[in-house]
Amino acid sequence: MDIDADGHNDILSGSYSRMSQPMAGLFQVLSGKPDGTFSQAAVLEGTDHEPLIIPATEETIIENICTRPSAVDWDQDGDLDLVVGNFAGSFYTFSGEGQGRFSPKSEQIMTDDGPLKIQGHHSDPFPVDWDQDGDIDLVSGSSEGGVQWAENSASSGEAPALKPFRELIAADPRISYGKPLGEDDLTGPTGSTRVWVDDVNADGKPDLLVGDSVTLTTMGDGLSKEEFEQKQAQWEKDLAKTSEEYNAAAGDQEKLQEYSAKIQKLYAQRAEFIKEDRTGFVWLYLQK
Amino acid sequence: MKVLLSSLVLFGGAAACGAAEFQRPVRLLGGDQPVRVESPGYAAPCLADVDGDGAKDLLVGQFNQGKIMVYKNLGDGKFAAGSWLEAEGAVAEVPGVW
Repeated sequence: MDIDADGHNDILSGSYSRMSQPMAGLFQVLSGKPDGTFSQAAVLEGTDHEPLIIPATEETIIENICTRPSAVDWDQDGDLDLVVGNFAGSFYTFSGEGQGRFSPKSEQIMTDDGPLKIQGHHSDPFPVDWDQDGDIDLVSGSSEGGVQWAENSASSGEAPALKPFRELIAADPRISYGKPLGEDDLTGPTGSTRVWVDDVNADGKPDLLVGDSVTLTTMGDGLSKEEFEQKQAQWEKDLAKTSEEYNAAAGDQEKLQEYSAKIQKLYAQRAEFIKEDRTGFVWLYLQK
Repeated sequence: MKVLLSSLVLFGGAAACGAAEFQRPVRLLGGDQPVRVESPGYAAPCLADVDGDGAKDLLVGQFNQGKIMVYKNLGDGKFAAGSWLEAEGAVAEVPGVW
């Protein structure tokens, strides 16, 4: 998308948080250059020359971290606006004033029943006319996996009016923690989904690209399946016992520290019989 | 980490009321290997023509260091092996993602 209307595609990104306090997931732009290359990321600022930030307090910090922006003419006034998601799973807009300039004041997207929110966290807005009725709907991934969409029910020329999110693709069942999971076991995206919509096979119907996050697990070197299962069972038993002791020690700081250290040690021991590989893949759903 | 060459995609065709049926999902490949991101994961895909050849390439953002892998579109649904997106002669990194 050409954010600054200079004739060159730019890359727009959210982020988890700036390093300085207070936390805030700033928006970043890698500006496209005439030679087809990109500039380094620069913080996207509002017309007040301050970073665009979703307003939040210390208590509502999840509203403004882990952001994802999309640029689209949301209010149909001819300028690109920003529709942004966050850790909390809600959505905000920053009104565009043309050529990459945005109002510093954001507005939360509401439904008739309150703030528009996805099921889960990590709202991931992809504005698109999903139901092909001429207006902009929102498609989103979620921390819980799967894909959701919110229908825009506004009439032509009216401001968008979103209905609550509903399921487009069900989240895969939760993978049992600690069980071996290889690439060949995967049949679809797992958790923390991020979506992109496009007509990939040019059949006139929108398709979905879904990124995810998954922890692949394999048995430690030299272990037989039986040995692995024994160690896993013993480890789970030890963890359950120590967790119980930790919970029973509520209020006793000395004991809490002791059991906390034990739990940390158990997790370190786990690495002796199970290997973890945290990664993520990109899945294509072609629409029938 | 999320990366986005943002676009409003308006598709032609009859109204479908949002209902959709999909084929079984397949993992995208870059070259002959599945597209995958570094630990701790969080793949964020995007399709956009970044090399100006008229075909949409695959960009995948990741959490680690806020880097973006680019997979050139080879046509027929195929993508080449990926390479890191560069900016001003260095691997591009989006701050605030680590």
